[in-house]
Amino acid sequence: MISEEDVKKIAKLSYLKINEEEMKKFEQDFSSILDYVNKLKELDVSLIEETANMANVENVFREDKERNFADVKLLAALMPRQRDNYLEVKKILNNND
Amino acid sequence: MIDLTGLTIDKIKQAFKNKEYTAVELTKAYLKKIKEKDLEVKAFLCVTEKLALNQAEIADKMIAEGKEQPLTGIPCAIKDNIMVKGEQCTAGSKFLKDYRATYNATVIKKLEEQGAIFLGKTNMDEFAMGSSCENSGFFPTKNPHDLERVPGGSSGGSAAAVAADMCVFALGSDTGGSIRQPAAFCGVNGVKPTYGAVSRYGVIAYASSLDQIGPIAKNSDDCKIVFDAIKGKDRCDSTSFDLPLDEKTFDVKNLKIGVPKEYFGEGLDPIIEESVRKAIDFYKQNGAEIIEISLPHAEYALACYYIIAPAEASANLARFDGIRYSEIVKDGDWDIVDSYLQNRTAGFGAEVKKRIMLGTYTLSAGYYDAYYKKALKVRTLIKKDFDDAFEKVDIIMSPTSPILPFKIGEKTEDPLSMYLADVYTVSVPLAGLPGMSIPCGFANNLPIGLQLVAPALKENLIFSVANFLQKNYGIR
Repeated sequence: MISEEDVKKIAKLSYLKINEEEMKKFEQDFSSILDYVNKLKELDVSLIEETANMANVENVFREDKERNFADVKLLAALMPRQRDNYLEVKKILNNND
Repeated sequence: MIDLTGLTIDKIKQAFKNKEYTAVELTKAYLKKIKEKDLEVKAFLCVTEKLALNQAEIADKMIAEGKEQPLTGIPCAIKDNIMVKGEQCTAGSKFLKDYRATYNATVIKKLEEQGAIFLGKTNMDEFAMGSSCENSGFFPTKNPHDLERVPGGSSGGSAAAVAADMCVFALGSDTGGSIRQPAAFCGVNGVKPTYGAVSRYGVIAYASSLDQIGPIAKNSDDCKIVFDAIKGKDRCDSTSFDLPLDEKTFDVKNLKIGVPKEYFGEGLDPIIEESVRKAIDFYKQNGAEIIEISLPHAEYALACYYIIAPAEASANLARFDGIRYSEIVKDGDWDIVDSYLQNRTAGFGAEVKKRIMLGTYTLSAGYYDAYYKKALKVRTLIKKDFDDAFEKVDIIMSPTSPILPFKIGEKTEDPLSMYLADVYTVSVPLAGLPGMSIPCGFANNLPIGLQLVAPALKENLIFSVANFLQKNYGIR
């Protein structure tokens, strides 16, 4: 079972806010999905290797050479705030940091 | 008046040759059809009319100059998580409602080089998370066979567009069944290629170890033509590679078909079982050997998927923060963290939030070993089940979906019942294998899909086996 407290903590880690109305549904859905995936506990996999991906290739190398992006103007047009095709962002560090 | 009903690449090529119509005329016919038919089906999020007409003129020129390629002048639709430069690319999310693609996906570049024509971008479950198109941030798409029912998902718009003759073929993407399940629901053909066979560069990522782009089309020949056009190694996707040529001639009499007993158990609609078994029996009547096989860990595949896919999604979707593009809440003089929170909370729909949080949970300290690591190990077992099975058989056949297309709204309240619609499709991407859904019958006027699964790199075997049924077996 997952508590409201847990949901709030996970939401914070995910940079999401869950409001009061949504909370109950989230708790319910989360609990039912976790109950279902807990099915995996039936299996003893202590001797099994992990598979993170199914890639058919390994150690793919290429020349470390810069390429210019073809259409910087299109990128800049998407920016909420920009100056001369550079993205304007908020201050991340305070003066005291 | 060009009759678009059931039009395939082969027929169009013939018509171009006989000068029955030009690519421009054909494109106009499709655009007109979309204008009328899509009012009820709602498969398209946007129609790229100007682009399509430009491309059609180029195609006609290529044909006139004798530079025709397999897809020259063929009108198609593109799932809205694949980037077409200058056009919208929303991935079905309100978060990206104003986003425009700044470059072409590799698959788009390849189609464009052949002279294909892009009619529009198709609807989908938000960020490809869903099995019904009901999670689209914009509107649900309807199943052309019954407008009260879902077309499947997440590539529901693409499958519905092909089924309703609004394009010749479409591109979709498949992570847990998102090409094959809607293909089954809409009575069309859909292929999920071997992992890495098709470049993912320019597709908005959901779960990177599972995602693959593939074709949805009217028949297996068209699927093969499109697959051959989009496959291959790409320097922008380091998991991509060139498939070796597999030109062995196909003879149904030498075919060994595996039928997994786990896929014919509880939860399967008997009417689907009957139709699928009848199609498999047709191969037997023609000399194929049918062998009952076991995929012992099949029952764990869905649980494994619902740990791995959300875990990868939680990382992939961290990039959506409203800073570089898609600021959807007007800046309220917040600090940077509040700004992330405001944009992400307003931008993502409920299912996407749920999966991001589920992934964040299973990757968090204290739960990583119990969930994520465990799922990776179970993935090994699922892969091994297939390896063992392919020691004995050439191809595996099963239903694509355990249920017929359901009514819109029927499963939205219970996420688990929705997830169960993918129970036969999720294993295939977990094992990195190629899979295809082909129509094999109808029940209550709703289509039924037969799923074909082959060893990695054996797409051509799948196409041959699918083609055999389509040429010789009447499904109505």
